[in-house]
Amino acid sequence: MSELPEYILDRVFDAPREMVWRAWTDPDLLSRWYGPGVETIIHKFILKPGGSWLNEMKWGDKSDRSKMVFQEIVRPEKLVWHHSSTDANWNTITNPMMADWPRVLLTTVNFEDVGEKTNVRLSQVPIDATDAEIACFAATMAGMDKGWGGGYKVMDELFAELQANAA
Amino acid sequence: MEQIGYTNTQSDLDAIFAALADPTRREILSRLVDGQASVKEIAAPFEMSQPAVSRHLKVLERAGLIERDVDEQRRPARLKAQKMTAAVDWLTQFKAFWDTSFNQLDDVLNQMKQNDE
Repeated sequence: MSELPEYILDRVFDAPREMVWRAWTDPDLLSRWYGPGVETIIHKFILKPGGSWLNEMKWGDKSDRSKMVFQEIVRPEKLVWHHSSTDANWNTITNPMMADWPRVLLTTVNFEDVGEKTNVRLSQVPIDATDAEIACFAATMAGMDKGWGGGYKVMDELFAELQANAA
Repeated sequence: MEQIGYTNTQSDLDAIFAALADPTRREILSRLVDGQASVKEIAAPFEMSQPAVSRHLKVLERAGLIERDVDEQRRPARLKAQKMTAAVDWLTQFKAFWDTSFNQLDDVLNQMKQNDE
C-alpha cells in the first residue's frame, strides 16, 4: 500500500487559541475533558520532545491505559505524539479490543486561528505498522468516513431485522 | 479493497472489516437480510457467475457474517448478525472517543472563559 490511511477530525472551538492550547497542555484541564464519560487520571505529563503523557481512563471497575510520547511541541500551534495502548506498567500492548489495531499512531494536533475562534485539526496515522495493522486502520477509516460506502444501510437493516426477531 | 492473503489467524473484527470493504459483499448481505438464499438466488441480480458469488460467500463465511447449511445440496446462506454488531461497536467507540471528548472540551473552555471574566 503506497499511501497510509489517515484519520482527520476538524473542530472549531469558540475560544482563543491560547486558551485552547492551555486546555490541551495543562494536565489538570486536560484530564477534565479527555476520554468520553470516564474518569481520566494523568499519571505523568512531561511536555517536551521525548516526554510522556501517561493516561488512565476508569469507568466502573474497568481501566484503560495509554501512553503518549511527545515528538514535537510548537506553542501554540502544534502537538505531535506517538499514541499507544499500554499494560499496567505502561508497556505498549496490542489494543485489547482489536488485535490488529496499529500499536502506535502518529497523532498530530494543529491549532489555527479562525477569527476569535480556534480550529483544532486532529490527525492520526499508523507508524511502523504491519500490513495487517494498516489494513485494519484503513478499513476502520473507510467505515468512519463513508459508512462503508453505504454499509450503514446494511447495518440499519440488520438491526431492524434483529429487533424484529427479538420482539 | 481485496484483502489478499488474509487468513483466519487475523482477528475476527479485522476479517469483518475486510469482508465489508467490498460493495458486492455488502449487497449480498443486504439480500440476506430478506432471508436465506442459495448461491443461484444470490447471483441472480448480479452480472456475476455463481463461482464468483461463491468466492464472496466464502469471505463472508470466514468473517463469521453468514453461515451456510452443510448437508443441503443448495447450501443456502443466512445472516449471522452478532459479528456485525461487534464491528459496528468498534467503529462507534472509535468515533465517539474524540467526538465526545471534544464536546467535553467545549464545556471546559466555557468554564475557563467564565473564570477569566
